[in-house]
Amino acid sequence: METPATQDPARPLIELNALEKTYQAGGVLIHALRPTDLVIRRGTFVTVMGPSGSGKSTLLNLFGLLMRPTSGSYRLDGREVSRLDDDATSAVRCRLIGMVFQSFNLLSHLTILENVCVPMQYAGLSRGAMRQRGRDLLDQFGLAGRYGSRPTQLSGGQCQRVAIARSLANDPPVILADEPTGNLDERTGQEVMQIFQGLHAAGKTIIMVTHNPVYRKFATQMVTIHDGRATEE
Amino acid sequence: MRSLELALTVYASLTRHLVRSLLATLGIVLGIAAVVAMLAIGEGGRQEALRQIESQGVDNIILRSVKPTEGIVQQSSRSFTQRYGITQGDVDHVQGVFQNVRLIVPVMDVRRDIYQGQQTTDIKAVATIPAFLEVTRCRLVDRRSRFLTPTDGQVLDPVCVVGVKAARRLFGHLDPLGRNVVIGNVSFRVVGLFESPGGGRLGGQYELNNTVVMPLETARSLWGGITMRMGRGVAEQVDYDFLYVSARDVDAIPGTAGRLRTYLRAAHTQADYEVLVPYELMQSARKTRRIFTIVMTSIAAISLLVGGIGIMNIMLANIFERTREIGVRRALGARKRDILWQFLAESVLLTSIGGALGAGLGIGTSAAAEWFSKMGGDSGITAVVTPESLVVALAVSVATGITFGTHPAWKAAQLDPLTALRHE
Repeated sequence: METPATQDPARPLIELNALEKTYQAGGVLIHALRPTDLVIRRGTFVTVMGPSGSGKSTLLNLFGLLMRPTSGSYRLDGREVSRLDDDATSAVRCRLIGMVFQSFNLLSHLTILENVCVPMQYAGLSRGAMRQRGRDLLDQFGLAGRYGSRPTQLSGGQCQRVAIARSLANDPPVILADEPTGNLDERTGQEVMQIFQGLHAAGKTIIMVTHNPVYRKFATQMVTIHDGRATEE
Repeated sequence: MRSLELALTVYASLTRHLVRSLLATLGIVLGIAAVVAMLAIGEGGRQEALRQIESQGVDNIILRSVKPTEGIVQQSSRSFTQRYGITQGDVDHVQGVFQNVRLIVPVMDVRRDIYQGQQTTDIKAVATIPAFLEVTRCRLVDRRSRFLTPTDGQVLDPVCVVGVKAARRLFGHLDPLGRNVVIGNVSFRVVGLFESPGGGRLGGQYELNNTVVMPLETARSLWGGITMRMGRGVAEQVDYDFLYVSARDVDAIPGTAGRLRTYLRAAHTQADYEVLVPYELMQSARKTRRIFTIVMTSIAAISLLVGGIGIMNIMLANIFERTREIGVRRALGARKRDILWQFLAESVLLTSIGGALGAGLGIGTSAAAEWFSKMGGDSGITAVVTPESLVVALAVSVATGITFGTHPAWKAAQLDPLTALRHE
């Protein structure tokens, strides 16, 4: 039986080995991601940069198990996760990965507390434990007392803070962020980046796709993609 | 996902578009309402029919004299007598030949008016023998009451026993026992009060509770065999208007009824009798109920098919509209089966709400139908909502939700998470 990386800090959190994604479009083979080798250690802040259509989102979706690779290996927390069945894939997404989207993707008919609780529902937490954890997370991100608000009643920055709180609901070791400041003004974007910096300082592994070169300064590991080819700087 | 969380998630989703959700259930509401109302009215009708049949006595065979369209016998150039119906000869034959018969009770309609003061009433006066009380399933009401006895007939006493409704009409709140009733031009002393608990009818015709009963011999001595003059020069003679033949047990009824019919066909040259067999009517009522059930089931199936298709449409539209939500949930850890359960539960909740509303509407509709049918009179339809019909209605609602919700829910579960997330 494999030892989970959580018990072995020296073991890489993520290992990509010749991971590749291709698809057919109009009879043409598209290399969305060319064979990529990459190692990401626990507690790293990774920025993924590159021009539009270069394959950044493909890489992030592969990390998030929202897409199956065409070939290659993806080990997360010491376990090969690229060929799991749906239940196992969902379990990995639920417990090991937190996701933050550019457009927040909050469910508008739920309160922000309920939104934060969604991942915990799928982890099987009791209602009481879920709500307590949800409140703690919202408090942590300056949203105390707004538990009953709907996403439509919040500003963009507040929505993104709710989304970050949601990504931390099941305390996953890795947070994937897809252009998390893309829909925010500069000042709010800075605030959000400070939150990610804080999470990184607390030991979380952050993998962030961004267009903004200013955010390179937060990174401890930088990946650049051009035409589906990922290179580490 | 835990059941409570699933329930709350489903509730939150449905209340998001409350009006649309309620409109989506309309087909189910109307379908279930129709089913519940029709079942209630059908059940009421069935119970009423069975009560009527049972009040005749399931072990009885009732012969009834029927005036034929032909058979007027001219006695002279100036007078006619029409003789028809059950005769003393028939009674004697049944008494002498039929083995499985316990009681034979002849009843004669005396065809005389009963007066309340100077006014005639619609109360029926009949003459019979003491076993009448037993075969008609009637009972005495007052402790001081007695029914007719063989002695009454022997001494030709002008006594009578009065049905409870007739007593109320004749005497109001006064004690009827010991008072007199004028029948024709003869005064009869009331010696007893009786009632038919099931509201039965004599030979399926006269309301027993609205009847006055006198000894057969007394009536014969007073008015003889020719019971009614029908006009100038025309009279009719009927020995007995009804003959109750009570079998020893229910199993003997079909055979006894068959032999009676054979005998009557041979003995009567004209169609001047009718044979009523409550037991056969009961069997027939059961058969009718089966047909009714088939018809009801067909109507329910069509209503629910239409309602179910409506639900499926709404669910498909819901899923299209909430594709992004499905993507988000999948990205946050929902399994395919979580999505499947969520949408299936929504569909079942929708149809269950529809079923509950429909059941309520059905109960209301059947009560309204009963009320309207009884406006201005005490007869009308009776609606009986049985707990079984409500359970069936709700079970069918849930089954409809599952049947028509499975495809949309399965479709939702099969959505690719990434495609769903990118859905605008």
